[in-house]
Amino acid sequence: MAYCLEDVFRLVQKPGRYTGGELNSVTKDKEKVAIRFAFCFPDLYEVGMSHLGMKLLYGLYNSQEDVWCERVFMPDTDMEELMRQNGIKLFGLESRDAIDTFDFIGFTLQYELSFTAILNMLELAGLPLHAAERDSSYPLVIAGGPCTCNPEPIADFFDLFILGEGEEVSLELNDLYRRHKSQGYDKDKFLKEAVKIEGVYVPSLYDISYNYDGTIASVDACDGAPAKVKKRIVGDLNTAYYPESFVVPYIDIVHDRAMSEVFRGCIRGCRFCQAGFIYRPVREKSPEVIDAQSRSLCESTGYEEFSLSSLSTSDYSEIERLLPMLLDWAEDQQTNISLPSLRIDGFSQELAARLNVLRRSGLTFAPEAGTQRLRDAINKNLSEEEILDTARKAFSAGWTSVKLYFMNGLPTETMEDIEGIAELGQKIVDCYYQNPNRLKGKGVNVTISVACFVPKPFTPFQWEPQDTIEVLQQKQKHLRNSLTTRKITLRWHDASTSFLEGVIARGDRRLCGVMEEAFRRGCKRDAWSEHFNLNTWLEVMNDLNIDPHFYANRRREYDEILPWDHLNYGVTKAFLIKENRLAHESRTTPNCRQNCSGCGAAGWGKGVCLE
Amino acid sequence: MGERGLPRMKEVRIRFRKIGRAKYISHLDLTRTMTRALRRAGIPIWYTEGFNRHPYVTFASPLSLGFEGLCESMDIRLVQDMPMEELVAVLNSAMPEGLEVYAADQPVMKAREIAFARYRLTFTGDIEKIPDFLAQDSIIAEKRSKKGVVRQIDLKTYLEKSDIHIDSEKTELEITLPCSSSETVNPMLIAAAYSDYVFKNNTKKAFCDVSRLDLMNSQGCSFK
Repeated sequence: MAYCLEDVFRLVQKPGRYTGGELNSVTKDKEKVAIRFAFCFPDLYEVGMSHLGMKLLYGLYNSQEDVWCERVFMPDTDMEELMRQNGIKLFGLESRDAIDTFDFIGFTLQYELSFTAILNMLELAGLPLHAAERDSSYPLVIAGGPCTCNPEPIADFFDLFILGEGEEVSLELNDLYRRHKSQGYDKDKFLKEAVKIEGVYVPSLYDISYNYDGTIASVDACDGAPAKVKKRIVGDLNTAYYPESFVVPYIDIVHDRAMSEVFRGCIRGCRFCQAGFIYRPVREKSPEVIDAQSRSLCESTGYEEFSLSSLSTSDYSEIERLLPMLLDWAEDQQTNISLPSLRIDGFSQELAARLNVLRRSGLTFAPEAGTQRLRDAINKNLSEEEILDTARKAFSAGWTSVKLYFMNGLPTETMEDIEGIAELGQKIVDCYYQNPNRLKGKGVNVTISVACFVPKPFTPFQWEPQDTIEVLQQKQKHLRNSLTTRKITLRWHDASTSFLEGVIARGDRRLCGVMEEAFRRGCKRDAWSEHFNLNTWLEVMNDLNIDPHFYANRRREYDEILPWDHLNYGVTKAFLIKENRLAHESRTTPNCRQNCSGCGAAGWGKGVCLE
Repeated sequence: MGERGLPRMKEVRIRFRKIGRAKYISHLDLTRTMTRALRRAGIPIWYTEGFNRHPYVTFASPLSLGFEGLCESMDIRLVQDMPMEELVAVLNSAMPEGLEVYAADQPVMKAREIAFARYRLTFTGDIEKIPDFLAQDSIIAEKRSKKGVVRQIDLKTYLEKSDIHIDSEKTELEITLPCSSSETVNPMLIAAAYSDYVFKNNTKKAFCDVSRLDLMNSQGCSFK
């Protein structure tokens, strides 16, 4: 005899991950809604519940009276085992109904290593993995999020992808679906209509052919699908939907606080950073809107902390006007404002003093590279003097620990650049001891975290070979040997996970078979280091005659057809080629506010492009 | 004025039920949940002093994860007095599903006076052998102390004094067990002992729902 769901809750660790019913979660009468939507995050509850995009779309969907959106997360191993043993299908947290009866199953693609978790969740839901094997009786399986800018490695498993920002296109898709449902829904007919909505990519309507050398020969759109699918953006964030409340979890999650989005996009154009290109153009919210939204969120959730969310938040043009507005009520209500990696030197004394009243997080910098030459090559416009100056000010104000983020394996990197990382760390340690006002008897702690660079689509480095695992490990070893002080703690990212990420990030549709086979052989939690197993992946690729180095470690020619070339994120290939050439000459490009560099995003005529 | 020149604050004991989905909120998470509810309700709670200021909230007796509680209580301090009926109403409107405030009053007893707790155990599946199980001369369970010392106790001594209702669908057991800092007996020991009794080879577990009905002092008076 099998256990029921309630019994299973008694047996698992942290049942709060699966029980639902949290404050502000939405329950509707399933008989009275037209569309049931399962919003799936292919990671644990604690990770998925920290994600702003999910909160936003959950609120948006549920703001429509006839739509019921529920949350679904990847169960942990103990829960998964019990679900499989007892025939419990993947269910929505709100209704606890199995999601295979829903209208839509929507995944958010946040990172490449979550792709096999998606397959696992589809299997737990009782769905055939391949879109082609799911007829009109199954839910539509769709996805959005940053990794849809190259969804080819999982294209076979999805009915459609949403490119870019989902607020408007989701509602348009719902409208289309309602119409089709009232006239007898047929999946193929629906998909052929859906491609007429800008931002909708239906992978089954594109035929890919390959050259003998394995590169792509052509991508052909069929049945009226557009030759290039353009991503969608929301033009005006001040009037765009933003949730008035968040679901407040019971269990401790990674980011357990209210979050206010201050802008989208990034003016910087760091050449390694995918987010910096795919979210263009920069569009800001006004301080008044942010203030009202923050306040409403704190009141509806009771959160004791809120953060401002965006890429490079210190670039918000009205931060000096926004912070006093927020502080005025936050101080009264004992609410903390958490500011991610802001430049403290930019603030007035008075503002800095008021922020100091609140709990402060550690000081972090992301120089990304150890020498000015390499920072110029990656267009990270942060000088050593700026870093040291800020560190000095921070030490004078009583800080004793600094975190520095770097990357190994950046294009044009040499061992000299690696040594530069250690030298910069040492200079910061020296700054601390040169400060006459430092706290006596208290040492400094500098943490250097080094990630491995993974070339990503829609960046100027999309043609670059990724360093092999061996080279990355040599560089890590060299860095360790270059450090001479125990005041510096060194952490680095595992090169083997970065290698797999590199394979998938620039992969094509032939990787779909690899994904499925790796999943069959037990890879389903690759993003969790304790479950990651590169050897299984290598065996699978070997068995299927797929060469991982073709994807990760090969330099592409500028004229090669890339697997994501039929997707248009607004930034032109000509601009990316120009940026790639500048990188090899260690020449920088000004940020969007200094000077427009003509990336192509101005075509939307929104945000910073109009300033 | 009270100690350290602070205005004298009013101590309030808030009584609530923790039922339904809320039974899966752990004790640690309950503190956070309640703090946020108090903030949403706008109740003028006292914050602790010092660098890491947080609202003062303390619970009489932690409730195990998965148990319902019908007589739970938490103490707060008000920096500004307010009518108790109003406090109950506004706090209730700010509570998540399964947490229900039913009273607020001034504390009479100290939490450390709690000596016993009364529970209701409801078995709904595999209940046929419960009468035989209860008819045993002794029901030995192993109890692990915080220090890891295992000792054997006879559950029969408690079960003898319990009220048992058996019908075709379910079996209910109401039982009083020690619940103090010096000695606590977890009602799940009974469920585990029954599980071992029915499924000797451990192929399955017998479950029961547990509700904590009351907390009492050593004289058997309800915690006030």
